[in-house]
Amino acid sequence: MVEPIKNTARIFAIDTRFQKMAKRPGGVPRDVAVKRAEKFIDELKPEFVIWLDTELQELSAAVRGAEGSSFDPSWHKRAYRTSSRLRDVGGTMGYEMISFIAGNFCEVLDVIDRGIAYDRDVMNCHLDSLFLVKTEPYRNLTPEQLPEMTNGLRRVVEFANSAADRTVK
Amino acid sequence: MTNLTIKERTINLGDLVILVADPNPYLRKLIFGMLRGFGANKLLEVDGLPSLLQTLTGQKIDILLCDMRFPPIGGLKITENIRRTESNENRTMPILIMSGDGRETTIKSARDAGANMVVAKPISAKSLYDRLAWIAFTPRKFVDTATYFGPDRRFKIEGYPNGVGRRKGDNVLDVAEPVGPTLAQDDIDSLFSATRTGQS
Repeated sequence: MVEPIKNTARIFAIDTRFQKMAKRPGGVPRDVAVKRAEKFIDELKPEFVIWLDTELQELSAAVRGAEGSSFDPSWHKRAYRTSSRLRDVGGTMGYEMISFIAGNFCEVLDVIDRGIAYDRDVMNCHLDSLFLVKTEPYRNLTPEQLPEMTNGLRRVVEFANSAADRTVK
Repeated sequence: MTNLTIKERTINLGDLVILVADPNPYLRKLIFGMLRGFGANKLLEVDGLPSLLQTLTGQKIDILLCDMRFPPIGGLKITENIRRTESNENRTMPILIMSGDGRETTIKSARDAGANMVVAKPISAKSLYDRLAWIAFTPRKFVDTATYFGPDRRFKIEGYPNGVGRRKGDNVLDVAEPVGPTLAQDDIDSLFSATRTGQS
């Protein structure tokens, strides 16, 4: 009879340089550190508005590349790269709706990657929403404060996901 | 020893070499600004795999902040490769994964790849400081098995709805059943909250 192979694990303590050094006295207390970081973020805000405009133009151009005579085979990659940048940065800069919509749009692009056909209306409703929420009075609102928009966009993704699941099956 | 919560801890990032790996230059700029505000003064950044590999092999890094979808292979594969390469001098460095994807399966994959912690994007100054403090002040043993090398993954999921289960094929690891589409940062933290610190 063959003996079953035993699972063995070596478990050892490790005190990394990060752990040793980070615990030294003389660090920046949390409240001071957070205040300093937030001041830096505030100082970046004027520049961020310009960055946001550029990224939204790039996203629009990428999505246009999915259509007709201007077809660009790299449109999906470009659109994903740009919308993930928007998602990752928007909330940090105080534009929570930008992060929400861009994150939703990333999910739409993931679904397209799974084989669901490009839908111009889905693209346009995300792009229009992104352009809308960068303006006053929407720019400082949270997803909870715009339930019609956020619920509608979530439904679009859920519908696309269920369509993709049916296609895969 | 005083019984402080993570939010009451102060971390000293001076002279620690912190590497930020993310393809988004604006995000790197934001993270750098936050880390400088926290007192960090030795910051490195990379935007692609070749420069990441070069940086990791050329010098000792104290902590890596890596994008979950770092191109082309993603932050999880990078983490696995770092952990599994015996000759890598940075094999045991803390790895903080930055993820815009908060699904539980993704977070658990990060933990199973050997990441120390996940921080959800978009990242706030508070969440970044707290995650770094958590890594510094929550000692975790390392586990070396045939299939895994990395921080101990035995966890209690405090306040998490589906309790704790056991992973098939690995008799020392407790993990949760996959539920729910997206986790908040608090839930992510729960998945990384070790209960048996100091226990072998």
